[in-house]
Amino acid sequence: MTSPLDVSGAELQAMPEAVLEGTQSKAIEGRSLGQIAWTRLKRDKVALTGAGVVIFLILVAIFAPLIVSWLGHPPNDFNQDLISSETLAPKDGTGISGDHLFGVEPVNGRDIFSRVVYGARISLLIAFLATLLSVCIGTVLGIVAGYFGGWVDSLISKAMDIFLAFPLLVFAIALAGVVPDTAFGLSGDALRVSLLVFIIGFFNWPYIGRIMRGQTLSLREREFVDAARSLGARGPYIIFREMLPNLMAPILIYSTLLIPTNILFEAALSFLGVGVRPPTATWGGMLSDAVRFYTIPHFMFFPGMAIFITVLAFNLFGDGLRDALDPRAR
Amino acid sequence: MKRKTTLGVTALGAVLALGLSACGGGTATSPSQSGAAAPAGGGAKAEFNAALTQVYNPSDKKGGIIKLANAGDWDSLDPGDTYYGYSWNFIRLYGRSLVMFKPAPGKESTELIPDLAESLGVPSDNAKTWTYKLKQGVKFEDGTPITSKDVKYAVERSFDKEVFPDGYTYFNDTLNWPKDYKGAYKSKDADTDSAIETPDDQTIVFHLKQPYSGFDYFAQLPATIPVPKAKDTGAKYKEHVISSGPYKFDKNEIGKGFNLVRNDQWDAATDPNRKALPDGYEVTTNVNADDIDNRLLSGDLHVDLAGTGAQPATLGRVLTDPNLKATTDNPTITRLWYTSINGNVKPLDNLDCRKAVEYAADKVAYQTAYGGEFSGGQIATSLLPPGIPGHKDINPYPAGADNHGDAAKAKEALTACGQPNGFETNISYRAERPKEKATAEALQQSLGKVGIKLTLKPFPQADYFALYAGKPGYAKENKLGLAVNGWGADWPDGYGFLQQMVDSRVIRETGGSSNISVRDPEVDKLLDQASLETDVAKREPIWGQIDQKVMDDAFILPGIWAKSLLIRGKGVTNVYVSDAFGMYDYLNMGLQ
Amino acid sequence: MVTYIIRRLIWGVVMLAIVSMITFAIFFLVPRLAGATSESLAARYVGRTATAEQVKIAAERLGFNDPLIVQYGRFAKGIVVGADYSYGPTTEHCPAPCLGYSFLSRLPVWPDLIGRLPVTISLALGAAVLWLIAGVATGVVSALRRGSVFDRAAMGIALAGVSLPIFFTGIVSLVLFSYGRPLAITAPGGSFTPFFVNPAQWAYSLILPWITLAFLYAAGYARLTRSGMLETMNEDYIRTARAKGLTERVVVFKHGLRGALTPILTIFGLDLGLLMGGAVLTESTFSLPGIGKYAIDAITNQDLPKVMGVVLVAAFFVVLANLVVDLLYAVVDPRVRLA
Repeated sequence: MTSPLDVSGAELQAMPEAVLEGTQSKAIEGRSLGQIAWTRLKRDKVALTGAGVVIFLILVAIFAPLIVSWLGHPPNDFNQDLISSETLAPKDGTGISGDHLFGVEPVNGRDIFSRVVYGARISLLIAFLATLLSVCIGTVLGIVAGYFGGWVDSLISKAMDIFLAFPLLVFAIALAGVVPDTAFGLSGDALRVSLLVFIIGFFNWPYIGRIMRGQTLSLREREFVDAARSLGARGPYIIFREMLPNLMAPILIYSTLLIPTNILFEAALSFLGVGVRPPTATWGGMLSDAVRFYTIPHFMFFPGMAIFITVLAFNLFGDGLRDALDPRAR
Repeated sequence: MKRKTTLGVTALGAVLALGLSACGGGTATSPSQSGAAAPAGGGAKAEFNAALTQVYNPSDKKGGIIKLANAGDWDSLDPGDTYYGYSWNFIRLYGRSLVMFKPAPGKESTELIPDLAESLGVPSDNAKTWTYKLKQGVKFEDGTPITSKDVKYAVERSFDKEVFPDGYTYFNDTLNWPKDYKGAYKSKDADTDSAIETPDDQTIVFHLKQPYSGFDYFAQLPATIPVPKAKDTGAKYKEHVISSGPYKFDKNEIGKGFNLVRNDQWDAATDPNRKALPDGYEVTTNVNADDIDNRLLSGDLHVDLAGTGAQPATLGRVLTDPNLKATTDNPTITRLWYTSINGNVKPLDNLDCRKAVEYAADKVAYQTAYGGEFSGGQIATSLLPPGIPGHKDINPYPAGADNHGDAAKAKEALTACGQPNGFETNISYRAERPKEKATAEALQQSLGKVGIKLTLKPFPQADYFALYAGKPGYAKENKLGLAVNGWGADWPDGYGFLQQMVDSRVIRETGGSSNISVRDPEVDKLLDQASLETDVAKREPIWGQIDQKVMDDAFILPGIWAKSLLIRGKGVTNVYVSDAFGMYDYLNMGLQ
Repeated sequence: MVTYIIRRLIWGVVMLAIVSMITFAIFFLVPRLAGATSESLAARYVGRTATAEQVKIAAERLGFNDPLIVQYGRFAKGIVVGADYSYGPTTEHCPAPCLGYSFLSRLPVWPDLIGRLPVTISLALGAAVLWLIAGVATGVVSALRRGSVFDRAAMGIALAGVSLPIFFTGIVSLVLFSYGRPLAITAPGGSFTPFFVNPAQWAYSLILPWITLAFLYAAGYARLTRSGMLETMNEDYIRTARAKGLTERVVVFKHGLRGALTPILTIFGLDLGLLMGGAVLTESTFSLPGIGKYAIDAITNQDLPKVMGVVLVAAFFVVLANLVVDLLYAVVDPRVRLA
């Protein structure tokens, strides 16, 4: 029942109860909801800022090569001449200059700015895909459990219980650590990214699943579903045409709020050395390198702040979205 | 290869120690005598490298508890199982082997002197048989007298690598064991007199399969530390090793730490080499490495046990502050950090392609990856470290004027190899070692400049040799063309350094050998020739020949000859670097 | 009630069994998919210099050639009745619950693991006390003064708190406050002192990880408490209580807080359960020799018996926490028993 990391564990927890109560007592009014939400969201400056930062980060990730060719250096290139061969630190302390905006790494003098920019790619890619995977599995199984009930429900619910009993992080590290470098016809970064997406996404679905099950349970008893059923509609039709549209709001909210959790998860795995292989830049990987050089603070500052700002932006936007779509949940 | 640090000799030490070794003279000189030979005013001044060749802060004051910390954990405290350099250094506090390295600073420390034995080994049968006489009156901590049978049993039990997987196999490989012998536990009733005889309680005779002139180096291995059969608990013996030295175990929690207290059964009269100054030792294991440095500098801790030197985060602080720098020593160790070039992987089966790798490598980046000039080491141009007898200065593949690699020569070699545009291969390294990761990244960069594309392949350290890089089938199948590697001498001598590293016969299909790339029958022949040669003057040049041959084959890309930046603990007396161990000698330290 | 407890207990045991099966299957299959054979797995147990024949014998002796189900059966049997191992002159009995033998340390996993427990429990409990107090207090005050400067500031910090990974705040706090740093407030890392040996030293060595860990959780709990409070304070029964003429203090603490705290206690139980099974990131950032660090070390060395042990112990705590929370609910809310 708790989120994968021993950080911000409580955050996701809060939502099930809050939203359940919110939606149970107040109908979600189909199409007009989107318009109402948009009006509300437009007024929420904080959430809009979050959204702006998110969009900015996505653009940075997409155009990383362009940005780096303009403002930085190839992310894996050494700049050994900037490094003291005695202390391994940048000769002037940080290496920050017009040429190296965030300074350079100790030992090899790689450009921190470029590595942070490229790190955004891995971080966002994995977080988005993993979230997509969790949401897909969670939504399908949650709806199936909630809609059909009976033994199907109890089977899926028990499965979710078992999943939630796994020490996720330990398990994820162990799994990411034993998978070989070439497997399933993939190798290199492609394999590692797919593997991380699978591990993060696959272990997170029960959170979404539980919420979806609860929502479906309450929707199932509602008049419009009864009406559809009495008109002869069958399972698939009811699920896809009647229920899914009504579930879009919670799906959207939880996807937005799951992304930052997954960013933290990916960073944690990279930090523990089982993420994407070096020399590919990741924020977590940079932080774990920086621990050895904790007397050179700028090295940990930039990747750390990158994680912080990204996660914060998603949280701000997610909170705003939830408030807009479901004001009582506040 | 499992050893974190090495036993060794420093080049600088070799020169500076000349004066001292003259004073040292005969056998069994204790460091106090060497200390007395140090400059007036009570030993070396507090300056950089003060304890490199002299005793720093000499004293005979007793008392106090020396506090040591270890960033990792012992492979094992069991004398039959341990293979870490610091452990061989420390074990002498609770165990006495037949012979030992002399507890003295610098070059003098590489001299062997008797410990449990009355004198060094007496060879007979053209160095195929070695006889040692034990001293009278040496006892275990429970008061039982130590006999030659206890030494024999200790060696026999160390044979069983299922129980003691960490140790070396010198005795297994060289002694004339009966056929199908499986060690003291599994072959309980076997007659092992063909390998080790004990004609009486004070005499032990070793029988070798082939003559070996350097057997005294074997006799200093911790496996000759006596073990009482009645108290042996196999794999659990490490939880309470029965002491034969001046200290014994009091409390021992594997994975956390232990302490040693005085062993009242130890008799100083039988032991001229140990001062036994402090009242005890307190050892903590698995301590954060950066904290160890901080505590050493603040005086809260006396010794960093691993002896591998300051952490990178500490370098900036220590090297830029003259006062702090004056509390450090910077020995060169008989360890080579290198990269194996696997001739089994195409196109590295072609000599010219291997040469291209040698030329293209950026040696400065290699050095920085390992910690720079002080903490990393000196750029290596061949295998043999300068401190090993037989070393010659050769540089078959000059890495350009500034040591950043010679791209032009590398291109030439690539063309000669038929791969003018370069090729692709993989480089493996141990995932837990940030320095090896940095090395792999550095080679990826510098080799990439001439078109040799490397993909990084990290593997877990525990299985690196057994299952991955060191397993020929796996390495070939997965195209591990390069493998980041390192090797330190088991003792400062050409055999101790080269044998496990370049002998192609140690390579097994089942994996596990440290040599993963050198396959040259001529090198093997030279090794045999050297180990049969009893004349030192003729033997030593052969090590140089082997070095040259392996370099010509380009099976090894030498990186650096290791150095470490050691911090002297505050208030510790008798501090000096032992070249035999490449770190501070732990035997005779005391507290002010 | 008794039948409910028994049912929940049985389900807890079943869950642990299933977790162990899945874990065993995955760690049996994945290395083999990665190209390991029974021989290469056995090679770890016989030292680096073993011959092919010795390795083969060892693989046979360790049963690595047996089918998955047989190997699992042996593992499960070890947990229930113990197992025998032969490493040395005598055969060692590894008493139940025997989680196997580590091939690296040649020691049974269980005592090793249990030895680490005090560290993790100290870390988790200490931090939990801090974050519960700080988080709930902040949340309540924020809710009561909704929109005030305090509320805005507290919620801003809380939002930042839930957006920070512990391995970043941890390093930053190490840089600023750890031993040897200018603002040092803590003992050297990795030097855990058991509570019963020296309570002051115990607290001194844990203060930094406590605060760092508690900060992140407190942030989440403050947000939860605030929204919970706002919700309950709008409920009809609160209006009724006010209408009865009760003082605001009684209304807030006796009625409001109680309603808001119930879901928080649930989450608290589960968070604590999860932390007991090893605060992997916190322990590895601060080099604390607890279960989490043990897990990381076991995983990097691919010491599978240890990994299995850690996963099972961690799962045990999660299941236990679930059980306790459910039982508490059943006590508080009689309706649950019927479910």
